[in-house]
Amino acid sequence: MALKGKENKPGWIASINPWVLRIVNNPERLAFVLHRITGVLMALIIMAHIYVTGIPAHTGWEAWIEEIQNAHGITPVTLYFFFFAGIAWFHGLNGIRLLLVEFLGLCIGEPEKPKPPYIAPSLKGCQRKLLYLVFALWAILWILTGYILFVA
Amino acid sequence: MSFDPKAATKIPPKKVTFRIKRFNPEEDREWWEDYEVETYRGMTVLDALLKIKEEIDHTIVMRYSCRMGVCGSCGMTINGMPRLACQTQVAEVASDGKPVVTVEPLKNHPVMRDLLTDFTKFFDKHRRVKPYLLRKDVDERETGDYEYEMLPEEHYNIYEYTLCIACGLCYSACPVVASTDRFLGPQALAYVWRYVADPRDEAWKERLEMIDTDEGPFSCHYAASCSAVCPKMVDPGAAIQRLRSALIKYRLGLYKKKRISKKVGPMEEKKPRKDLPPEAKPVDGVDPWAKDQEPVKIPVEKLI
Ligand code: SF4
Ligand code: FES
Repeated sequence: MALKGKENKPGWIASINPWVLRIVNNPERLAFVLHRITGVLMALIIMAHIYVTGIPAHTGWEAWIEEIQNAHGITPVTLYFFFFAGIAWFHGLNGIRLLLVEFLGLCIGEPEKPKPPYIAPSLKGCQRKLLYLVFALWAILWILTGYILFVA
Repeated sequence: MSFDPKAATKIPPKKVTFRIKRFNPEEDREWWEDYEVETYRGMTVLDALLKIKEEIDHTIVMRYSCRMGVCGSCGMTINGMPRLACQTQVAEVASDGKPVVTVEPLKNHPVMRDLLTDFTKFFDKHRRVKPYLLRKDVDERETGDYEYEMLPEEHYNIYEYTLCIACGLCYSACPVVASTDRFLGPQALAYVWRYVADPRDEAWKERLEMIDTDEGPFSCHYAASCSAVCPKMVDPGAAIQRLRSALIKYRLGLYKKKRISKKVGPMEEKKPRKDLPPEAKPVDGVDPWAKDQEPVKIPVEKLI
């Protein structure tokens, strides 16, 4: 009897679950997971945004503009802006990194002869620094956005 | 893959529990089984598995051959990361605080039994990209009188990709392969780039056009897990990005292969050296450089 193997594919949902595979020295995967999640959230938010901004077209713009202009401190509107800013900053910054690396083939290092500790050229040097820069800028810009929304 | 160079000097915990994911295709049953193994310094995960097979449970099925990271058949998911079992020291993955090592079959490859996975799809994709030199003049390629010229720096450019042992670890770590069967995977695409960049290959246009589909580099999202797990430092992730940017440039009419090398030769006929020690001298009547010769039976007395 020919035995049939068991499919062993985690699927795309599982592929963004960091516990399915725990690969060391691979923050790029974390960036990939965050990029996917923020991308999906942005698509949803944009749809909601179009819907919500469509409402004052029927009810009048004055109340809407007033609400937006007076939004400071912790209110549902500023919280929404804060989370949207976090999502958009990451997706945008990481997107620039991906454009450089994926489409222009920059920053992935030069081929080299394997030598200990055997880290692939694209996982060190320019590309990795760029990734850390993305994370650092993301944190700074998000905190700054929070400061402007909640404090200033 | 980055190896812990100090692993060989470390002493693993005296007893380590190996938690192995088993699968029985006849009953379609999957379960985890624990085995406790006494370790020694320098023990690899493959050594431990073989010890389990010899001493505790003969029914465990796995694939291995060379035991030294050359054949690429012992890939497994060890503590959640695709690794070669023969190149992973127990001291690297188990510690006194957590003397447990989980061993699962490679993901993205169908499981046949226990740790044994089926590589048919993986090798099909490998074959599909035509992993060999293609020249317009087939005769020239088939008759071995000539060799193609290649400069050291050109060799250096593709050298890391030629080290691939087809172990399938990168394929198993890839989140895109996990979600679609169509993607060719990091290993096959690294091979495409290896031949596109190889000055001896003439089919770079055909190769680029062949992968300009959703099977090709545009499906890659650069999670770079392939490069992070590759035991031979092949860096398939970078190869895919090179391929993608080359493809974009090619479609814009901006990419051209730098050089296609010419054949050089015919190779000089090699004559046996005169200064060889007598025991290394070729046997009379046997021309070691002759082509298509029948295997010659050499009388034993001539050899000793
Ligand atoms: S590229 Fe590396 S991980 Fe992938 S099959 Fe080749 S040797 Fe294995
Ligand atoms: S047994 Fe050959 S690579 Fe591990």
